Amino acid sequence: MLSKESIERILTAALSHGGDFSEVYIERSKQSSVSLLNGVVEGTGSSLDCGIGIRILEGDKCVYVFSNDLYHEEKLIRMAQNASASLAGTPDGKTVYLEPQMEYFSQKYEIAPTAVSKSERVRKLRAASETAKAYSALITQTSASTADVEKDVWIANSDGLYVKDHRCRTRIMIQAISSSNEDKQYGYFGPGSGEGYEFFENYDIDALATEAARIATTMIDAKPCPSGKMPVVIGNGFGGVIFHEACGHALEATAVGIKSSYFTDMQGKQIASPIVTAYDDAKIAKEWGSYEIDDEGTASTTNLLIKDGILNSYLIDKIGSRRMGQSSTGCARRQNYSFAPTSRMSNTFIAAGSSKKEDIIADTEYGIYAANMGGGSVDTSTGEFNFAVNEAYMIRNGMICEPVKGATLIGKGNEVLMNIDRVGDDLKLAQGICGSVSGNIPVDVGQPTIRVSEITVGGQA
Amino acid sequence: MDKQIREYIELLLKEAEKAGFIESEVYYDSDASMSISAREGKIIQYENSDTTALSFRGLFNGQMGYASTEDIQKDMIPFLLSQAKDNCGVLEVKESITVYEGDKEYPEFNGFSEDLEALTYDQMAEYALSLEKALLAFDSRIEAVDDCYTMYSSGEVYIANSKGMICESKDNSFDVYIGCRAKEGDDVQTYGKGWSYTHLSEFDIDSCVKDVGSRVIAKLGAAPIPSVKTSIVLDKKAAHSLLASFVGSFSAEAIQKGLSRLCGKQDEVIANDKITLIDEGMIDGSPLCLPFDAEGVSAKRTVLIDKGVFKSPLHNRKTALVDGVMTTGNASRGGAKGAIGISPSNLYIENGEYSLDDLFKKMDNGVYITALHGLHAGINSISGDFSLMSEGFVIKDGMIGDPVNQITIADNFFDVLMKVDALGNDVEYFSPEATHIQSPSLLIPDVSVAGE
Repeated sequence: MLSKESIERILTAALSHGGDFSEVYIERSKQSSVSLLNGVVEGTGSSLDCGIGIRILEGDKCVYVFSNDLYHEEKLIRMAQNASASLAGTPDGKTVYLEPQMEYFSQKYEIAPTAVSKSERVRKLRAASETAKAYSALITQTSASTADVEKDVWIANSDGLYVKDHRCRTRIMIQAISSSNEDKQYGYFGPGSGEGYEFFENYDIDALATEAARIATTMIDAKPCPSGKMPVVIGNGFGGVIFHEACGHALEATAVGIKSSYFTDMQGKQIASPIVTAYDDAKIAKEWGSYEIDDEGTASTTNLLIKDGILNSYLIDKIGSRRMGQSSTGCARRQNYSFAPTSRMSNTFIAAGSSKKEDIIADTEYGIYAANMGGGSVDTSTGEFNFAVNEAYMIRNGMICEPVKGATLIGKGNEVLMNIDRVGDDLKLAQGICGSVSGNIPVDVGQPTIRVSEITVGGQA
Repeated sequence: MDKQIREYIELLLKEAEKAGFIESEVYYDSDASMSISAREGKIIQYENSDTTALSFRGLFNGQMGYASTEDIQKDMIPFLLSQAKDNCGVLEVKESITVYEGDKEYPEFNGFSEDLEALTYDQMAEYALSLEKALLAFDSRIEAVDDCYTMYSSGEVYIANSKGMICESKDNSFDVYIGCRAKEGDDVQTYGKGWSYTHLSEFDIDSCVKDVGSRVIAKLGAAPIPSVKTSIVLDKKAAHSLLASFVGSFSAEAIQKGLSRLCGKQDEVIANDKITLIDEGMIDGSPLCLPFDAEGVSAKRTVLIDKGVFKSPLHNRKTALVDGVMTTGNASRGGAKGAIGISPSNLYIENGEYSLDDLFKKMDNGVYITALHGLHAGINSISGDFSLMSEGFVIKDGMIGDPVNQITIADNFFDVLMKVDALGNDVEYFSPEATHIQSPSLLIPDVSVAGE
């Protein structure tokens, strides 16, 4: 590892030719995974990643260099000097001195994942695979896996900040596949946590396997989903992906800071139906998307994004704060050292409302009930988003009826938020991976059951 | 190839033998890149990187265990060997395959261009600034160029094993991406596109700008159309992205695991007789080649679909052994970290006979789909079902009409293979726009379009 003095020399070198701020991010992480197909271990891996990213800012200009050579200080200093030279500014001849190191524990685990053998994980995964297989004769394949990462990061910058953070995340993935003639359908869940091995130990993987098998067998009988504009009731938990895509990304300084987002200059204005209040909260204990400090070393926050339909706050990182003239909201994140950090989401959700799920369904004469959602994407300039529905049913006369498959929901972010006309009281979070400019990061999405009065449903029928 | 790294790998293989591994192999890759982004007439971001990763795999107690590291120091050798050995203890599928002894000959490959290596920061910055400036000047409705970068990258792959096989290769490329935003009234449209060049002489700022500029302007005023079942012409770019989403079905691994609809379909008709699907490890002149696959097997040519008949899936040595055939040389790994899997090299549907205009004329009325979105979510990769947000243009009486957006198209990939009515002749194998999976534009009848 690089010493404090080495880091000081690198940070100083990074300002030698230009730049008003320099930052070093170092990480060392151990990752391990094991996967079973049809109850048999067919894959397992272990890897050690390490690297350093050096960032220099001059105004809102950014220079980023990275390497995984942590042993040759001269080489890193040369990289930092060259990076600084590309800014060709006026060096202020600053020598960087770091404060004493502060230590953080973004995840406080009880049992380190590396401390427990893989065969323990295999035992639980095998039992879950058997449960899914036994659910129905229609289940023809199962896959079950775990992945965990223990990561130490060090962040230091020319303001003197010097912090170390311990991070740990664990995840279980279960898939059940049903077959009937040519058709194959699946049920999938991938819960994750900011806990250690105890997450695997305490989680009811069997119940999850049963639920995955239930979806797979339900959807194999499903008819193609109808298409056109109609009301859609979106289930709680992973249903929150609609807010993540339709709104969350467009609130990131990455888009707002360069005025490309459709929510630019909308602070204090109504952007959603008055029954919508939403947060990005990185401080929820043990959650998959939580952290104590972000990847710029800023303390995490509970960020009230929308209050009663009014846009309250954006997601702002350091460059965003320079562009927008507002403080950082502690949301700078990156997949690893090979990405410069930028404004990202953590645990983003629509807050609980007052409606009961049963009443929302009962109030809907015709439409779709999207019980479980898949992934999606968005263009933050035009607002156009899309996402897939993994488990869906027709609603007729206020009743949930037959299952329908192959539905995709599309729309424009600003329109869909205004069209939310019911918000349930059953808030739930769900875990996923969000991909954007600074790589793939763990995030939670979430919401209670909501209804969108009109949205385009794309199906084969 | 760095001499120190070569010695390190030799030492690792020796230590592996001492540790009791019957066979072992090391896969090493290193990458370096420099990228420069321009916005509002300034260089806004500059990135430079230099990374390496090394993966070890070894046969122990009849299992092949993997471990990888980015920290390439002598003291990491015990970590790699102990992790790989532990992983052997967990695996339950008996490993039938051993490391490869290598081929006698490999195709010649020169993927490293010296004129690209000579690119400087100043040159690349100038290109990025010029691209942005020219695109903004292309049409006053182009409001901003939100993404504009030039990137030089180079990489090296080195595989060595206990059977004495050594495969090494290096390549480089110069990439350009421009994405912009156009506005007319309240209507905002975006379009972005990338190119990858193997020689600097191929790069032409004006043609890049004209391509992106004219496409974004053409999208202005786009609106949904009523839901309808209709014929579509799927543009080659959209057809390529659809094919890429379902290409996993052609992997022998997926077929053997029962995770492909092509299970048990070999030598059966799975597509219209107009369709021939080919994979080539090396296409003369193509930038997307490697003379060997991730196991060190020399590049091959495989016919997957011959005039509608499914002839062969893509194999690595392990799946080939199961099926009792020769490998097709499609072993792959997602960087040094991944285990060996299967992926296509240069996969393409052979050209048909129609120009794009003739496809429109043949269709007469329908929709020309130029892009598909949400491919990571809106598909069932096993059954072939898809429902995807799309955009394009109305085709009326064989002519391009109004732009369309906010629609979905839904169908089944395998049904599409059967019902394709006509194929375009527009696959360009060697252009800087080429990706490693390609399709001509396709005329497809009876597709569900959801809109208003």
